[in-house]
Amino acid sequence: MIKFFILLLILLFNYKFAISRNAGETEITTEDGIEVFQEDKYYLLKKNVEILSDEFNLTGQLVKIFFEKDLYDVKELIANDSVNFLSEEYNIRGKGEELRFNIKDQKIIVNGVNSELFLEKTKMLSDGEISVDNIKGGFFIQGSNSKLLSDNIYISGSKINGEFEIIDGKRNIANLVVEDDKILNIKTDGIIMYAKKAIYDKKNSIIELFENVQIERGSEIITGDYGILNTKNKSYKVSSKNSNKVKAIITNTNE
Amino acid sequence: MNFLLTFNKTTLLISSFFIISIICFFISFTYIQAKKIADIEISINNKTADISKPKFSINSNKQKISVTANEGNFLTENEIMLEKNVIFKSDKFKIYSDNVLFNKKSLIASSKNKSKFVSDKTSIDSNGFDIIENGNIINFKGKTKLILK
Repeated sequence: MIKFFILLLILLFNYKFAISRNAGETEITTEDGIEVFQEDKYYLLKKNVEILSDEFNLTGQLVKIFFEKDLYDVKELIANDSVNFLSEEYNIRGKGEELRFNIKDQKIIVNGVNSELFLEKTKMLSDGEISVDNIKGGFFIQGSNSKLLSDNIYISGSKINGEFEIIDGKRNIANLVVEDDKILNIKTDGIIMYAKKAIYDKKNSIIELFENVQIERGSEIITGDYGILNTKNKSYKVSSKNSNKVKAIITNTNE
Repeated sequence: MNFLLTFNKTTLLISSFFIISIICFFISFTYIQAKKIADIEISINNKTADISKPKFSINSNKQKISVTANEGNFLTENEIMLEKNVIFKSDKFKIYSDNVLFNKKSLIASSKNKSKFVSDKTSIDSNGFDIIENGNIINFKGKTKLILK
């Protein structure tokens, strides 16, 4: 009797694996059918769509999958309505109203309100668009409430354009250009920066700030037209074209 | 003392009688049900089809889909109910089903039965399908599973 129950338990635990997809296969299920457009070369998947593959999992309500010459040769998908994406292979997860994923080029675009995309520890948020080129390492966030959050940096601006570099198999932000018609905001290591445009250059360890610049550290508030921050020694300099404006040079040394 | 000898013989006899009666009842019931189903199947099988082994084709500029079945029955002048082992076959795919309504004028095919689509490294299981626009669009209906290899 005990042996029978052990066998039954083994069967129950392995049941899901026994009926699940094989390695290398992509399994797609829908509640309300699939339309195959042979001439236009795409599948239209309807209602509670779930895609399971070795590279990624995706859920959504309406998904278009484009294929090349053959039906199995999938090149791109466009998912709409409550889309969730997870790729352990590429270390990316995201969600949004619309998600486009070019499988061949590994380009991901998330659109709509409350869009989110996580690349390892880097979090990208926007009510507009987030796009990532996973092969070239570029990313672009635009629209209202666009933000980039990482270990020790917070960036908000209507346009955030950047590049990653891979160090020890992990993505690190190498370069950034942040813009906002109103005002952008960068917080790092206890320093808060405001400007209309900011450029981060990792190679030279500097952040340059342009127009309506304001830098805050503790009780210090410095304003001007241009600012430059050294991210290594945390020193910064603010200057202005107009001599009537306040100018300041402050370093973190105790001079 | 043997354990079985401790039973009251009368009780044992009555119990055995009841158990055997219940078993006989279930066997008879199952047999009658099976016979009813067999009779229905025989009566269906005796029905002669309008067309035996019908063959049609859906032609377009880009592909030709041949349609075969074991039986076909005319519902209207143009509508034929294809039954048993219905196969749609083109260079690229095959669709298997058991009951398909085919309009030989509009070349639209529709099924509400379980269907299987098979192509190179691709399979689709659904609860029916529609083939429209000369086979350019195939709409698999209901809960559907697509496997890409």
